[in-house]
Amino acid sequence: MEHRYDIVIVGAGGGGMFAALEAVRTNPRVSVAVISKVYPTRSHTSAAQGGVNAALGNKDRDDTVELHVFDTVKGSDYLADQDAVDYLCGQAPSVVRELENLGAPFSRFADGTIAQRPFGGTVKDRCCYCADKTGHTLLHTLFEQCLRRGVTFFNEYFLLSLEHADGDCQGVITLNMATSAIETFVAPVVILATGGHAKMYWNRSSNAAGNTGDGQAAALRAGIPLKDMEFIQFHPTGLRKSGLLVTEGARGEGGYLLNRHGERFMARYAPQKMELGPRDLVARSMETEIIEGNGFESDAGSYIELDLRHLGAEAIKKKLPQIRELSMHFEGVDPIEEPIPVRPTAHYSMGGIDATMARTAIRGVYAVGECACVSVHGANRLGGNSLLDILVFGKRAGQEAALEAPERKAHGITPPAVRRAADEIRSYANHERYERYGIIREEMGKAMGDNVGIYRVEERLRTGVDEIHALRERFRRIRLFDTGTVYNTNLIQILELKNMLDLALCVAVTALERQESRGSHYREDFPRRDDGAWHRHSLCTMGSDGEVSLGHKAVTMGKYSLETRSY
Amino acid sequence: MERREVSFRIQRYNPQVDRAPFYDNFRIAVEKGITILRALNYIKEHLEPRLTFRAFCQAGICGSCAIRINGVSRLACTTQVWDVLTGGGDDPILIEPLDNLEVIRDLVVDIDPIMEKLKRNQSWVKPAIPEEELGRKEHIVSDEQFETINAASDCILCGSCYSECSMMQVNRDYISPPVLLKAFRMNNDTRDTLGCQRLREVTTDNGLWDCAHCYKCMEHCTKKIPIMDGIHHLREEAFARGMTHTEGARHAQAFFDDIRDIGRLKEVTLPLRTKGVLGSLGMVPLAIKMGLKGRKPPLLVKRIPDIERVRDIYDRLEADRGGEVVGAIHELPLRSAPRSGGCL
Ligand SMILES: Cc1cc2nc3c(=O)[nH]c(=O)nc-3n(C[C@H](O)[C@H](O)[C@H](O)COP(=O)(O)OP(=O)(O)OC[C@H]3O[C@@H](n4cnc5c(N)ncnc54)[C@H](O)[C@@H]3O)c2cc1C
Ligand code: SF4
Ligand code: SF4
Ligand code: FES
Repeated sequence: MEHRYDIVIVGAGGGGMFAALEAVRTNPRVSVAVISKVYPTRSHTSAAQGGVNAALGNKDRDDTVELHVFDTVKGSDYLADQDAVDYLCGQAPSVVRELENLGAPFSRFADGTIAQRPFGGTVKDRCCYCADKTGHTLLHTLFEQCLRRGVTFFNEYFLLSLEHADGDCQGVITLNMATSAIETFVAPVVILATGGHAKMYWNRSSNAAGNTGDGQAAALRAGIPLKDMEFIQFHPTGLRKSGLLVTEGARGEGGYLLNRHGERFMARYAPQKMELGPRDLVARSMETEIIEGNGFESDAGSYIELDLRHLGAEAIKKKLPQIRELSMHFEGVDPIEEPIPVRPTAHYSMGGIDATMARTAIRGVYAVGECACVSVHGANRLGGNSLLDILVFGKRAGQEAALEAPERKAHGITPPAVRRAADEIRSYANHERYERYGIIREEMGKAMGDNVGIYRVEERLRTGVDEIHALRERFRRIRLFDTGTVYNTNLIQILELKNMLDLALCVAVTALERQESRGSHYREDFPRRDDGAWHRHSLCTMGSDGEVSLGHKAVTMGKYSLETRSY
Repeated sequence: MERREVSFRIQRYNPQVDRAPFYDNFRIAVEKGITILRALNYIKEHLEPRLTFRAFCQAGICGSCAIRINGVSRLACTTQVWDVLTGGGDDPILIEPLDNLEVIRDLVVDIDPIMEKLKRNQSWVKPAIPEEELGRKEHIVSDEQFETINAASDCILCGSCYSECSMMQVNRDYISPPVLLKAFRMNNDTRDTLGCQRLREVTTDNGLWDCAHCYKCMEHCTKKIPIMDGIHHLREEAFARGMTHTEGARHAQAFFDDIRDIGRLKEVTLPLRTKGVLGSLGMVPLAIKMGLKGRKPPLLVKRIPDIERVRDIYDRLEADRGGEVVGAIHELPLRSAPRSGGCL
């Protein structure tokens, strides 16, 4: 089946839906379709708890866009492109107000303005929130507004490939999950908004099962480079057993991190900001405590305690109700009475599809949100800046797409391309195949966690690269055991695993290549930042043989020049 | 770590090959602390790759994984296996898809009807601010006004209440609890301008007045939202806005009046008061049939003896308008911001 639209948006998270909304608003005559592998409100944006940054100045009256820019650039360890950061922070107040205007239920100060709380790595309190369900409420608000505008959704459609003819966008090939039919969407403009890829760390990840980087992998195969893939953010406070997230808001509200001596050890690592230092620093400090034997021990691994008890039952119930629920469900601990066992967990992918103000190397293809690398987060993202990123760049891409679409034409997707997609899917069911999905996925998570984790060193990185190579080889023999065509989740699992393996290779290879420590990328063998050699973005491209080759790109500087980063 | 063998009895159905749904049994060793979702994942990865269910966030926030566990709709990812063991742990745990929705395969149901109903009932805020001025300044919203819609905006559209609703059981066109909850959430948002329009839609056939007050939606809400409070407040709002002309509203008013006046229902005149003269004529055959079966409503209804106590209840409710209707099970009860004024 073939569909034709002026604009196709892949992904119905915050980024994709804001793009859709803005596109139909900018130019009501363009036809827009949103494709998503899950129903829109189930996208991972719903999991964002803490909030979204904007220099509204409701709390700290002297907060400015300038200061927000500075915090972001410094937080990125000077790897962010400063023109993009200027745009991000400059648009923040209006984009947050716009969502408020459209019904997002933000928590409020006594004077009725949007409430703001402190968040890691910032000099002012500028994180706007709705209790600890900010992402959920923003996502639902955007969905509601899309319903209001009559946006067309294709729910439970899976992106298989991005198609172009000599660098001009032609559309996408998808799988209708309910029927397993291949359906093409011919469109001169495509916006990729498929979310992050930190699920490649599997059990040590706060991400949803589907954060597998499908858009990134499709872009990579279509010839668009991926940028800064070595930068994966580990969030300091994942629940010990599941990796699920306890928001930074918990520390923003005043939570303590304690080692087994009952010591607030952050005093030794970030004497000023303490628990509210930037994520990379806090996560590494916790890991160091654990390695040095200062962590707590348990069957489910070593951990650190996050103590909220001194905040009082009232504040915990009112401001952190979900955290309380999660701790009770998944650790059996009520934070009103006991500290929460936590340890760092893979959380966010700073790297992604190389994009300049949301535009990519293929004409007509945009990338926004966590799947993209614009780059506003550089080597380390600040909490609350990612929701902002998806809103600001989602909106921008939607606007530009609506203006660009009428000017472009898509000729169509070639039959051989469709056939290739169908053949690939059929081949997975081949009886000679025998490798099992669950096993390869488990080993991938372990290979990444053990070798390409928080602390990195050449020898282990080489092991990581080798192991991922070997797993990709085994993947060629993976077997699809479910051969039905109705809602085949086994097939989706396999397609997602393929994408994760390709991206894992990019992460491992670029991490091995970068011989310095910057932001979230910490090399034990190169513990210093080395601006002379490495102040540049890394790029990955994939040849038709599936091999990854590396390149680089200059960082766009602006008002702020390189400085050492201390907190 | 405590471990034991647990059996799962899972409803299966692939419309492509199965003539009817059937049950499959799996026995696996599970550790204490494991969720139903982890157990299902284990079964899929190790025993039956064809087992089909939805799950995404694994953290109780996306709403994908709602299923019926031992007959009760809940989230697979937040339900611990240990908590649903029965018969000393020897009985199998029964796993079935949500009710009141078409099964696509195994535990996956078609939730498009929920999306359609959300759309039909204008489940969105339409602000007064003109399009070009969006983003210029914030609405001023008091903390109290925020709290009014706070709990209702917790809904993750998981469909558990939809599956449990007794009205849905008899009428798939019924508006359904999450959609009523959304209507409450929108109509009590001070920034919204669609109150009347939405309420008019919500009070049409198969709508607000059809709710059977069984409280099952609220009892089973995975986010513990007091949905019924929202439904009650919407009904109050319909009256406050003068939307008393619908059958449902008249029915409710008749109930209200009878109980206040005599403490019991005057069943004979109820159809007349609810449906009007013409409408009641349609009920004559039913009345005759009931009469023949000896089921006659009493013609003369006497006032109950201690009617004063009933009056007292009315007075107290009158004094606390907009208050929460039932004891709060959620930390944040739904309080409505009383809206008044008729609708054009
Ligand atoms: C637990 C957690 C807490 C967080 N808290 C915060 C916070 O407090 N503040 C903050 O700023 N950020 C936070 N973040 C980060 C932030 O939530 C995400 O980066 C952001 O929401 C990503 O939005 P997105 O629109 O890019 O993608 P997503 O919301 O992930 O949406 C991706 C969309 O793409 C679709 N998709 C993916 N693959 C395919 C495919 N193959 N075919 C079709 N569709 C596809 C999906 O269905 C989905 O609709 C948090 C992240 C996590 C994991
Ligand atoms: S109270 Fe009403 S909406 Fe709730 S389950 Fe019963 S009939 Fe359905
Ligand atoms: S009201 Fe509760 S049970 Fe119903 S869909 Fe929303 S969260 Fe689920
Ligand atoms: S998987 Fe998201 S709610 Fe259970």
